Amino acid sequence: MKQRSNRRKDRSGRALLLSIVLIFCVLGAIVYTVARKASQEMSSSAIQNLSESLDLLQCTIEAILNNEAEFQGVIAQELARTEDPEGYILTHAGNQMMTKLSLVLTGRTEGVSNTGEPFTAEGLDFSAGGTVKGMPVSRSYLNHMGTWAYTIKCPVEREGQEIGTLYVEYIYDAIDRSLPQEGFYNKQATLYIMDAESERFVLKPKGMGQRSAGHLDLNDFYRANDIRDLEIRAEVEQCLEEGRNALFYHDIRSTNALNYMWSVNRGTIFLVGYVPVDAIQQEGRTVNQNIIIVVTAMLIAFSLCVLLYYLSWRQQELLRREQEQERRLHDQQLTHALQAAQIASSSKTTFLSNMSHDIRTPMNAVLGFTTLLARDAEDPAKVREYTKKIMASGQHLLSLINDILDVSKIESGKVVLNFEKFALNDVIASVDAIIQPMAKAKGQEFRVEVTGVRHEYLVGDETRIDQILINLLSNAVKYTPEGGKIWLRIVGLKQRSSQYEHIRIEIEDTGYGMTQEFLQTIFDAFTRAENSTTNKVQGTGLGMAITKNIVELMGGTIDVSSEVDQGSLFQVDLELRIQEDQIDRAFWEQRGISRILAVDKDPEVLEDMRALIEETGPHLDTASAVAEAVALIQGGAEHQLVLLDWETAVSDSPQSAGALRAALPSTVPVLLLAEHDAKGTEAALQAGCSGLLTKPFFVSACREKIQELWADTKESSRTPEKNDTLARLHLLAAEDNEINAEILAALLAIEGADCEIVENGLLAVERFQQAGPGTFDAVLLDVQMPVMNGHDAARAIRSLPREEAGRIPIIAMTANAFAEDEKAALDAGMDAHVSKPLDVELLKKVIRRCMERRIGT
Amino acid sequence: MYGTKDRDMKRRRSGWLAASLTGAMLLALVSCGSGGENKNLFSSQEDSSRVVDLFSPMEKADPKAENVARTAADLTVAMAEEALGVTVVYRTYTAADHQDKTYDEVCLDRARNDMDDLYLLNPDTIMTLGAEGKLMDLSGLDSAKDLREVVRTANTVDGKLVAIPQEVVAYGLFLNQTMFDRYELALPETPEEFLECCRVFQENGIDTPIGANRWWLETFVFAQAYAELYNSGDTEAKIAALNSGEARYSDYMRPGFEFLQTLIDRGYIDAEKALVSEAIEGEREDFLAQRTPIVMAYWGAANTETAYGKTDLELQVIGFPSILGQMPVISMSGWAVGAESAHREDAMKVIDIIASDEALRIYAETNRVISPSQNVKVDCVPALQPLKDRIEDGVYVLGSNAGMKVEQWGNTCLIVRDLLGGATVDECMAAFDALQDESLGLA
Repeated sequence: MKQRSNRRKDRSGRALLLSIVLIFCVLGAIVYTVARKASQEMSSSAIQNLSESLDLLQCTIEAILNNEAEFQGVIAQELARTEDPEGYILTHAGNQMMTKLSLVLTGRTEGVSNTGEPFTAEGLDFSAGGTVKGMPVSRSYLNHMGTWAYTIKCPVEREGQEIGTLYVEYIYDAIDRSLPQEGFYNKQATLYIMDAESERFVLKPKGMGQRSAGHLDLNDFYRANDIRDLEIRAEVEQCLEEGRNALFYHDIRSTNALNYMWSVNRGTIFLVGYVPVDAIQQEGRTVNQNIIIVVTAMLIAFSLCVLLYYLSWRQQELLRREQEQERRLHDQQLTHALQAAQIASSSKTTFLSNMSHDIRTPMNAVLGFTTLLARDAEDPAKVREYTKKIMASGQHLLSLINDILDVSKIESGKVVLNFEKFALNDVIASVDAIIQPMAKAKGQEFRVEVTGVRHEYLVGDETRIDQILINLLSNAVKYTPEGGKIWLRIVGLKQRSSQYEHIRIEIEDTGYGMTQEFLQTIFDAFTRAENSTTNKVQGTGLGMAITKNIVELMGGTIDVSSEVDQGSLFQVDLELRIQEDQIDRAFWEQRGISRILAVDKDPEVLEDMRALIEETGPHLDTASAVAEAVALIQGGAEHQLVLLDWETAVSDSPQSAGALRAALPSTVPVLLLAEHDAKGTEAALQAGCSGLLTKPFFVSACREKIQELWADTKESSRTPEKNDTLARLHLLAAEDNEINAEILAALLAIEGADCEIVENGLLAVERFQQAGPGTFDAVLLDVQMPVMNGHDAARAIRSLPREEAGRIPIIAMTANAFAEDEKAALDAGMDAHVSKPLDVELLKKVIRRCMERRIGT
Repeated sequence: MYGTKDRDMKRRRSGWLAASLTGAMLLALVSCGSGGENKNLFSSQEDSSRVVDLFSPMEKADPKAENVARTAADLTVAMAEEALGVTVVYRTYTAADHQDKTYDEVCLDRARNDMDDLYLLNPDTIMTLGAEGKLMDLSGLDSAKDLREVVRTANTVDGKLVAIPQEVVAYGLFLNQTMFDRYELALPETPEEFLECCRVFQENGIDTPIGANRWWLETFVFAQAYAELYNSGDTEAKIAALNSGEARYSDYMRPGFEFLQTLIDRGYIDAEKALVSEAIEGEREDFLAQRTPIVMAYWGAANTETAYGKTDLELQVIGFPSILGQMPVISMSGWAVGAESAHREDAMKVIDIIASDEALRIYAETNRVISPSQNVKVDCVPALQPLKDRIEDGVYVLGSNAGMKVEQWGNTCLIVRDLLGGATVDECMAAFDALQDESLGLA
């Protein structure tokens, strides 16, 4: 379709171009025809014009010659009537026309001239045969005046008998005076008079000329004007012989000119010269110029129209293309959207299918074991086993539900990061506590490595960072076969800002790995690697999507590389703000610790330790071996704390820890740094080492250990057994769901607490109002209840006009588990928020803490 | 966004269209403009220009003609035309061949018949027409006051300054120095040395060492005839003796003619060819092709490209051999005004301008020649330096002298032609004697 459209457009464009070319061709042909016709007509007109001018000159000269001949005839008649003709001649003075009159009487060879000189006709040449009115005219010659002249002779007859011959000399100057004095064609024409017989130029332009103009004779004229065309010259010669006119085009000094040889008096003399064509065609040139102007204007106008049309067409074409492109893009987007919708739909279908399976499986376990529990209720061992499995299935169901809720919340952009101060050690410790047992259960080796980290006290959402690490690590555990290896590496990168620690978290495993295709979608929601091995693994397929979203929410990046059956590597780059206040500095000072000795064979580890420790205050001395440390101590160095790497101590000698201990004063504690599964540390502890720190080293962990060692740790320690019990507490609870109410009552009863349960918020308020002071130790409120919800009930209780209403702990107890739900509860005047399903241990802690806080205040 | 672009584009297009239409309207208005309102469509222009007819062998270059180098004379005439508001109309004559009347003959005819106002005359013609009283006395002109004395002398006839030249024409021998060097020949000083050079050239295969024409062989004669007359003191007395008949021209002329006869006899000159050859045209080709080592020509020929102004050979110009060494021969073509000419007053004014120091400076600088004005001096090409040195030393002979009653330049030329034609030296001397007798009224 599109190709057809393009072809149509091409054809249309070609047709347009052809039309324009055709119009130009037609226009050009018309202009050419008109110009050619005009040129031909002008040429004919020029020839006619020049012919007429030359005819006029010819007639003028012939009239002069005829007059001269007639006049000579009259003189001859006078002479015939005169008795003494020679005397008559002598008395006749010459004039400007006739310069010399001579008479030779018949029978004599010498006559007389009017100048008084004797005259003979010997020098005169009449052989050419030219005549004027029948009288012979001589060849031109240079006369006694130094000017060109000719002589006409006529017989003097008396009574029919010739008595002599009259010779009259005429000069060409007389003809010259009769010609236009200003020349013709605005002085641009060149005019010579040529004697035909001798081909000499006897009259030439005066007062102007061109150097080497060829004024001598015809050959000189040919030479000077570069007339070499033999055809022309032959034609001219022919005309000269026959006394015909010749007119031909020939450029004179690069100017187009009409050259002429115009016969006068039947060819005895010729008018010779040339006229530039432009001089004849002045008006024609103007007409031509005007035609050119008009044609040019038309062409410009036409070209302008074509240009405007073209611009308009191009603009429309551009617009059309843009629209088409836009439409195509829109179509593409629609297609993508459709595909995405289809994929999403497919994913969600798959997801629902998975969820159906994943939810039904533990649900089946719950229901199945509940049935079994009912049947075997009398057997305590089976009851404990069944309840344990029901609990596990319930926990699994809960995690599924949490993930689903989490991802939907992230996708709707409702996740708010909770920035708080935390120690990197706490994150690693909590993650290690979770992952280590999981790994151990699958026989996997899980190692934690920290390198290059300069600051361990940071600000960030610790819970979410935990979530990232647990998601990635639990996946690693899941997708790594038994006996595999898993690494968690925290690498300190070069800081981009002094206020932020730039860290890279690497999780590497030797697991099943992933295909490149799956890597493309690993971070998409509702995807899960499917193969014969992994489809045994339970999961929502949401973990990676949640992880990526959280990382990006923190301004970080996450990358993954993997090879099937080789393992996977996840890299998370985060920038976390460094805590400004250094609480550790005061800690060390209070305990008089200013110098610490670290013993480790790995210089990199020592360097990391130096960075962490010295950043908090104390100076760190290092030794790569126990012996070196002992020497240092014996050298007089005073250290208030010694950190000994267990592997270094073991590699030196099993007794080296004891040796070190012996070298130190008894008041100086020695802390062993060892992997969590290190063996043989008990001996070292017995040999005098003060305590054990799990690697990697963190100042916060070290501090906690020192706190434990020092007496002040006892100040903060409590006996959780006592504090966590709810015995003898009298609680008021509002719960509309009977089952939940029953569970709550049962659980609290187990803990020794007495709980009075009402069906809604209003009843709770009324009950609290009616109860006497001290009746209830705390109020537990469900949020979503009929009649009055939990929030309103809390507000109502707080607003009651009794002293106890303001301080009694009110705890929200709801399935709304989000942070904003907690905030809403606190805003309503509640003291804490516990999400359902209820975790009894957590509930105990929260109730106790709230009560202590109220008591404190 | 597109809408804004569209609007801008449309606005621009409208602007173009408006401009085009305005242009078209303007064109239409201009082309439809009305003409004048006079009923009589002929506009008469009275021809009030003054004309001076000038007769010379040269064409005048059209002032409007392009790519035409204007001659030095043209430049000065143009000065006069501009200063006086006259038009100098050139009438020219060139002989087609030796059978035609010569320019001098035509000049005589035309001046005697008052055909023109201004003439460029050769020395003999000046002498002849001056003696006939056909030329105006120019001594009163401002431009005459600063003329060199030799110029004044040469152009004064019967106490009247009848012509003023624009250049002092010095004739000399034009030699191919390379060829002289090739045969280890020194530049000749005396007639004997000159003959020896010719002999050596001839022996070396150069059959005719001297290129000659029918006009200028007389310079050999003048150099030998009058070397002592003009350069040994008592010049006026010696001329007076000639004018009185106490001394004979033939006695002065004989050595020169005998020398020429020797050159002819020995074949150093091709007399037959020389007799029909025009000046420069006849000998130039052979000289430039280095087939002829010696020619004679006037000063300006060394500057003129159409003569010897641009040669591939090493040119040297020296005086003619004489008993007193290398001897330049000086001759002068001068401007003269017909005594009865129609526009003689304007013609006099024209001469006054073209012979002024300003005009002569232009002329001398353009042609690099010796100026007749003692106030104008210009450098010359190196080849002319030997000739110039001699002239500046005051060593030269005059080819024509109006103080001599027998015209020299023209007559000697004609008699030399007789010699070339086969006349004997004695016959030639007899011709001089006849001319002298005629001037003395004894004929």
